[in-house]
Amino acid sequence: MLALHFIWYYTLSHLKLKYRYTSLGVVWNFLEPALYLGILSLVFSVVNRMNIQDYVVFLFSALIPWRYLERAVNTASESIVTGDWLLKKMYVSPFVFPVIRWLVAGVEYLFSLIILIFFLLLFKEQWTSHLWIVPLAFIPWAILSLGLGMIGAVLYTFFRDIRQIIQLGLIIIFFTSPILFKPEIFQTASLQARILQWNPVTYYAALFQKPVYYLSWPAATDWIVTIGLSLIIFILGASLIYRYRGRFYFYL
Amino acid sequence: MSMVFNLEKVSVSFERYSVKQRSLKYSVGRLLRNTNNSHFQALNDINLKIEQGENIGLIGRNGAGKSTLLRVLTRVISPQKGKIFINDQLHLVPLLELGIGFHPDLTGRENCYLAGLLMGYSRTVMEEKMEDIIRFSELAEFIDEPVKTYSSGMYARLAFAIATDVRPEVLLVDEVFSVGDEFFIRKCILRMQKLMKAGTTTVFVSHNLDFLVTHCNRLIWLDQGRVVMDGEPTEVALSYRAQQGHF
Repeated sequence: MLALHFIWYYTLSHLKLKYRYTSLGVVWNFLEPALYLGILSLVFSVVNRMNIQDYVVFLFSALIPWRYLERAVNTASESIVTGDWLLKKMYVSPFVFPVIRWLVAGVEYLFSLIILIFFLLLFKEQWTSHLWIVPLAFIPWAILSLGLGMIGAVLYTFFRDIRQIIQLGLIIIFFTSPILFKPEIFQTASLQARILQWNPVTYYAALFQKPVYYLSWPAATDWIVTIGLSLIIFILGASLIYRYRGRFYFYL
Repeated sequence: MSMVFNLEKVSVSFERYSVKQRSLKYSVGRLLRNTNNSHFQALNDINLKIEQGENIGLIGRNGAGKSTLLRVLTRVISPQKGKIFINDQLHLVPLLELGIGFHPDLTGRENCYLAGLLMGYSRTVMEEKMEDIIRFSELAEFIDEPVKTYSSGMYARLAFAIATDVRPEVLLVDEVFSVGDEFFIRKCILRMQKLMKAGTTTVFVSHNLDFLVTHCNRLIWLDQGRVVMDGEPTEVALSYRAQQGHF
């Protein structure tokens, strides 16, 4: 029970620390995603020659959970190494560190969700009941983020080169997924279409894009692929931490 | 009396650190050549039983393995070999290198709550103790400042105040008297004596042999990761001094 209190208190401290020395403080939680999304939608609607209103709804639907995943994985990967101030002084389960970073990223995600709703209110024309599935659609993303974060945390402790590799990997996955551009722009048998089909993020993106943009329910395949993959990655991450828990100290 | 620690044939070794050993290139090369890094044996086949209420002093030269042994007892280090039993029923508080895991960017007060939670005390309990901790550490003016702005003496004072105010059942202390002024050290010793009288099991690592002989009822002398002598403090101190050429 106290372990949960510790996780909670430390997560809150982390959030407070992040903006402690800034003048705008907590406002940055809203301002940062709003500026980022605003600039991105302007640029890409011009590049893709799309109607900005339509494109913003499409882009934001999957970009918000992607940004959450990216943030959670990057920060969780460094969490064990940067937790040395504690791991060297007291006994604490190493699981705590990636979990805290993952929770912090989750809270930030909630803030950007508010921005998303704001943008949708501005640009979305048709509102349907499909939107109710969005909170559920977040679950596979969350499990995947924690799993990848735990794997990254273990790898980064032993090989410091891995941070750049993770970032590069995330960029490749992002640009080969249908988050920035619609899959319809490619011909069915083209290489690009095939890459999209084999990129698992396509299925994760569909969980958000279908209810928000295409006004439809995610398909059964989307759920099976995403939940299955997320659980495998999560189990892998948790077992890696469990297996190497006694060795972290020697690499901090 | 119940058992607090039981170590059987515990060994800990560290890979010798060098910057190049952390790179992927080096690791892959090592894997291909199937060679190992050189190791430093910090603890070698340690057998140790500690009962509740014992006050133990660990002595030895630098690099003898004292601090590593203390870290094994706090579960911060998991030994590569051997069996270890730690009584989970008791509140164990470690004070390693003058600190109890303070986050440098958090304030003294926030760190106090955080450390309390880690040691098994809720925030409400820590809030009740806060006034005492502030008074003992003499940090009233600075308690809401980030810990990174503290001097090493302030840092140690806060850590010691927290660790001893929670009335631990087992207290593990590594060189606490190396910083802090004479007045504060005296205050610390008085508080330690109180805790020992109340039955707290203590394990001290210190180079202050006189303190250990006066306050401990058992002294363990370590050298190169092995127990050289374990027993009555005056006898162990005498042999240790003789061997070191101080007699």
